Amino acid sequence: MKKLAELNMDDFEQKLQRQPLRQIPGEWREEILREGRRAAVPEIRDADTASLPKWSWLSTINHQLSTLLWPHPRAWAGLATVWILILAVNFSMRDKSPALAEKSSPPSPEVIVELRQQQRLLAELIGPRDEHDADRSKSFVPQPRSERAQIVTV
Amino acid sequence: MRGPDLRRLYDEHAQPLYAFLLNLTRDEADTRDLLQDLFVKLARDPELLAGVRDEHAFLIRLAHNAAIDLIRRRGTRDETRDRFAAESISPFAPASDPDKQTFRAALAGALAELPPEQRAVVHLKLWDGLTFEQIADALDIPLNTAASRYRYGLDKLRERLRPIYEEMKNAE
Repeated sequence: MKKLAELNMDDFEQKLQRQPLRQIPGEWREEILREGRRAAVPEIRDADTASLPKWSWLSTINHQLSTLLWPHPRAWAGLATVWILILAVNFSMRDKSPALAEKSSPPSPEVIVELRQQQRLLAELIGPRDEHDADRSKSFVPQPRSERAQIVTV
Repeated sequence: MRGPDLRRLYDEHAQPLYAFLLNLTRDEADTRDLLQDLFVKLARDPELLAGVRDEHAFLIRLAHNAAIDLIRRRGTRDETRDRFAAESISPFAPASDPDKQTFRAALAGALAELPPEQRAVVHLKLWDGLTFEQIADALDIPLNTAASRYRYGLDKLRERLRPIYEEMKNAE
């Protein structure tokens, strides 16, 4: 009974039934089947993930640096080289200076005598001036500016 | 165990599944995703088709469930889109004859106004050639429900398309 009812479609139903449906795009076949194969075979999935680059912290740093230095990488490299040279020279100088001080020989007796004579001469020359300066500093009394000017002129 | 023959399954079932999914989703990209997901599912689980009596009905059920899930996820936003179905992709082939094209566009619009459960039954009955028993089996619904959904859906289409249908009939 039901089968008979299904066979007896009216005109309207038959008209609808005659309308052709849109065709599936041909390029989907290969794409969908490829995805299906990939899902079916674990080795293909593993191979796909293995072929992906390993993203370590070194590569991250490299990536960040490349991004930072990208506009003029050679200029940055040159600047870095100059700084490395400066640091190298600086460290080499620092290392040698104490060694030089240690290695230098003690002054000879003639030099010591000469130095003492010079010290004595200097003391003679400076000594009296020091005393005068000390006296003047002790006797100094602040005065008005106008009087100080008169002293200078006298 | 050896997996299912995807090529054979695709060649035998992809076209009717495509038309069915396109009629439900009205979106080619969604249809593509659903169809691909279905074949990936079949490839991953070779046991899925084991012991299945009616392969086509089983695939229709998988496709229907996936499409209904998608429609639910879309929510209200796409209910609005369904109302303006004239703007969405038609499940029918374009026609060079303007009268035929007008009728197909009107039919696509009228189908889009049907609730998805009625649309699914109408599609499977008219364009997939399934019997009510097969439809009931595929959609996991009682036979009477399948028949009544078809009748309700067809009545709405008849009502909606009456003017254009009568006009075309008189012209013939």
